[in-house]
This record gives sequence, C-alpha cells and structure tokens, in this order.
Amino acid sequence: MNEKKTQRPVPRPSFYTKPFWDGARDKKLMLQYDPDSKSFQFWPRPTSVKTGKANLEWRETSGQGVLYSYTVCHVPGAGFEERVPYVVGCVELKEGVRIVANLIGVAPQDAKIGMPMRVTWEPVGDTNYYAFEPDR
Amino acid sequence: MKDNFLNNKDIAIVAYAETPLERRSGKSAFDFACAVASELYARTGLAPKDIDGLGLIGPLSEAGNPFWSNFATDYFGITPRWLQTTDIGGCSATGNVARAAAAIQAGMCETVMLVGADTPSTINRAHYGGYRGEFWEPTGLPGPPGMFGLLMNRYIAQYDLKFEALGKLAATQRAGAVLNPNAYEKNRTPITVEDYLKSRPVASPLRLLDSVMYCDGGNGLIVTTAERARKMGVKRPVFPVAYSEITNFNGREMTPDITETGFSVVGPEALKNAGMSAADIKMFHPYDDFLIAELLQLEQIGFCGRGAGSQFLLDTDVSFKGKLPINTGGGQISAGQPGLAGGGLNLTEAVRQLMGEAGERQVAGVNNAMVTGIGVIPYARNWGSSSVLILEA
Repeated sequence: MNEKKTQRPVPRPSFYTKPFWDGARDKKLMLQYDPDSKSFQFWPRPTSVKTGKANLEWRETSGQGVLYSYTVCHVPGAGFEERVPYVVGCVELKEGVRIVANLIGVAPQDAKIGMPMRVTWEPVGDTNYYAFEPDR
Repeated sequence: MKDNFLNNKDIAIVAYAETPLERRSGKSAFDFACAVASELYARTGLAPKDIDGLGLIGPLSEAGNPFWSNFATDYFGITPRWLQTTDIGGCSATGNVARAAAAIQAGMCETVMLVGADTPSTINRAHYGGYRGEFWEPTGLPGPPGMFGLLMNRYIAQYDLKFEALGKLAATQRAGAVLNPNAYEKNRTPITVEDYLKSRPVASPLRLLDSVMYCDGGNGLIVTTAERARKMGVKRPVFPVAYSEITNFNGREMTPDITETGFSVVGPEALKNAGMSAADIKMFHPYDDFLIAELLQLEQIGFCGRGAGSQFLLDTDVSFKGKLPINTGGGQISAGQPGLAGGGLNLTEAVRQLMGEAGERQVAGVNNAMVTGIGVIPYARNWGSSSVLILEA
C-alpha cells in the first residue's frame, strides 16, 4: 500500500490550454468550441479533432451534466491519500463532452450513473481544479 | 488495409524465446534482450551476422533513451537493414510480426529478430507528457486501474457482468501459471473464484486480482520467409495468416459508448481475412492487463454476443484441456507483465503451443491460435490500440 503522503500534481498550463486555466482561476469552466463542426471538445488541443483546423473558440459552459460512470478509489492517486476511499467520476456535460474528475460530497455508496452533477472548484497551486458535486 | 498480405503463408515464425519473469531483478532491458537473442540463436543455429532485420518494443525502463533501438543493435552485434521500435504499447509484439512480414515482403530484409524486453519493476523511466499532467494526474484517478474501474462500472450499467465469471477466468489462468516455469515464482500457487471475489478493491469495482503486476523479463521471435524456413529445416513453423490493427477508435467522438472497442472492427476483420469464424479458433491468447478487457474481446471479436461474455465464460472450459483454451501459460495477469514487453508474453505462449512445446499445459492437437494486443490507456475511453493476429501451424 501507498503509505507515504504525496503532493497533488499542480497543472502547468500549455500555450494552447492557457484560456482554460485563466477561466479556472475565476471558477469558470471554459471549453473549446469548433464552429465548423458545431461541437465542443475536451481536453483542449491546438486544433479541432473533427476538422484538424485551429479554428477554435473558447466558451464558458454550464458546468452541468450527468454521471456517465464512476470508480471508487481505494489506492490513491498522488495527493489523495487522506480522501480514501473517494469517488472519481466521468461526467457527461450538456455541451457533449466528458470530463473525469473527483466527485465532492458523494459517498461511495451514493454514486449513481445518471445522477445530475455540476462543476465545483478546489484550490490547487495558484489556480483552481475542477471537481463535480451533485446538482440537486 | 490490404486484406491478404499474410494469407498465402509466405512468412513464417521459426523460433520463440522467453526468459523467466522476475520481480526487481536489478537488471536492465539490455540484459533480458541479450538473453532472448542468445536463446533464439541456440534454437535456430543462427548467429548475429544472419539477422538483417530487427523489430523492438520501447521499454519503460529505457524510456528516456531516444536511441534505444540503435543501442540494441550494438549490444547484439546485429547489422540490420530494417530496424524499428514499435510504440503501440501492448500491441507492439503482434504489430511487429505484421511489420516484419511487410518489411520482408517489401524486400527490405529476410531474417528478422523481434525482441521485447523491459524491467519496470526495477526502474520505470516513463514520463507521460501531453494532456496528462494537466487533465488526468491532478484528478486523483489512479492510472490504468482507475480508467478500467470507470469502464467496468459503465459495462455493468449497460450489460450483465457476473464477477464469478471473471473469478473463473482468474483461477483458470492462475492454474496455467502454476504449470508455467517462466511465470513469476510467487504467482505459481493456485487461486479460487472465492480468492478473486475477496481480493482487495483497487478502483472499485476493479479488484487486485483483476489486474496485472509489473515484472522484469523478455521474449522474442525469429520471422523469415517460408522458403528460408524450409531451407533451415524448421520442423514446425508457425504462419501468421491474418492481422488487423486500429488505433484511436472513436477518436473524433467526445461521447462514444466506451464499452465499444477497436476489437469490434479488427476482430471480425482479421477473421474474415483468415477465412475463419470465431468458432474456428482453437486457442485464444487475449491481451490481459485487466480481466474485463478479455471479456470485452470475447464479445467484440465474436466468440459470443454483446453482453454475453460472463455467461460464455461460465459455460466454457477455458483451461488448456477445454473447448476454448485462454492464455494457457497464465497470461500476464498470472505469469506477470514484463512492462511493455508484455504484449509478447501471450504471443510467445501461442507460438510455443503451436510448436507443441508447452509441456504439462500443452493443448492437444492445436493447429491455430488468435493472439491480441491492447495498447495505451487514453482519456475516458477504453484503450488506444487494438490488434488481432491469427496464427496457423
């Protein structure tokens, strides 16, 4: 077992992900939108996976979606030792992308695929990191 | 993909080699790679001067070395005219058989050595760049088991998963490892379905006994023309007769069904190219990083219907004596995963079986096998690369 306490990794923005992390600092979930294919994509990339073009816009999103799947973590990721057991979910946003994140305020036995979720934020380094909580 | 580049049996596997698997051996990939090459020479009478093609996998333990394959030629004393390191993870070994065949057919080389060797339980120098540092590692999701936990729960939401079926597969593979002298020594004790069900949770519903464990080791093959195999007097050559591979399946979709994998494409395609149906396959050697991956392959290659994998496993004897033997040497889950050389473990076992050299676990009268690969765990899907290789003796 992983007994030693580790640090949660701090995201280091890339050139093309900077707008995402600028948004995160203000607790806004910014996603790339491709106007050519009229679709969002996550995680951010320099170009659109649909068209291969750099014609991408950044849009603030609802942060709302439903739980597509989840797992209860008993062996922690770095920096998560004190949360064991904790839930990591894959949330499908209204905008049509999926985001994997820690679920806050969801006990392992309460996680249900299909439950409404909304984004929430936790301070990490000098920014905020996205998580999801039940959207009641 | 050209559908028939292998099915005239003009390419042959003439030898296999494998080292025992060790934990924290203190050795390097070069140690195991050279041991594999030595064994290949001993089995064929070939020498370094006879090898004009070399196909490798990129080891985790040498991940910082941008010139791994060139270093390897110098260690081996081989002067190749075709040289390649394949980096599609667990698909690299099966992929290298197809790449070697294509290189031989193209006239680039004639006698190819394929080697996988890795020592991640001694040192793992892998550093995943790209999106992972920003969008995966800070989420708390623990690596491959976490993504497979998500995949298992989604499968459970859509289909009927019986944990007893996975337990039966775990126990059967373990029985194979007990009979496999190359398996990691501590794994050579039997387990029961109950042991599987009681094993500790890692990323629920995924348990410890759903999962592989890193070891150190190596494996390899010699591939050449069927004509040269005859001249060499090889008693029982093994012929690759069909190969199909796909990477980034559903890669432009942001909300695909993650229970649908690349095997839904490459399984039926490889069978069609071999002129076979799944029922014709005598022995199945699926890539086994996690048990659920084997169940998904059974369904999507076409051994059974979608969602019927659990019942198929419960109804079928998958031991070496059974109707469809699966991973007869224990697979990676029970024999151990020699890092990125892991894709060669089940391939080596299939070749060994087809050459009739599997000893106490020999499948009687077996004349074909299907071997698969799975490579790389992407973001919130299933896996990056899927490959299917069909072999005939």
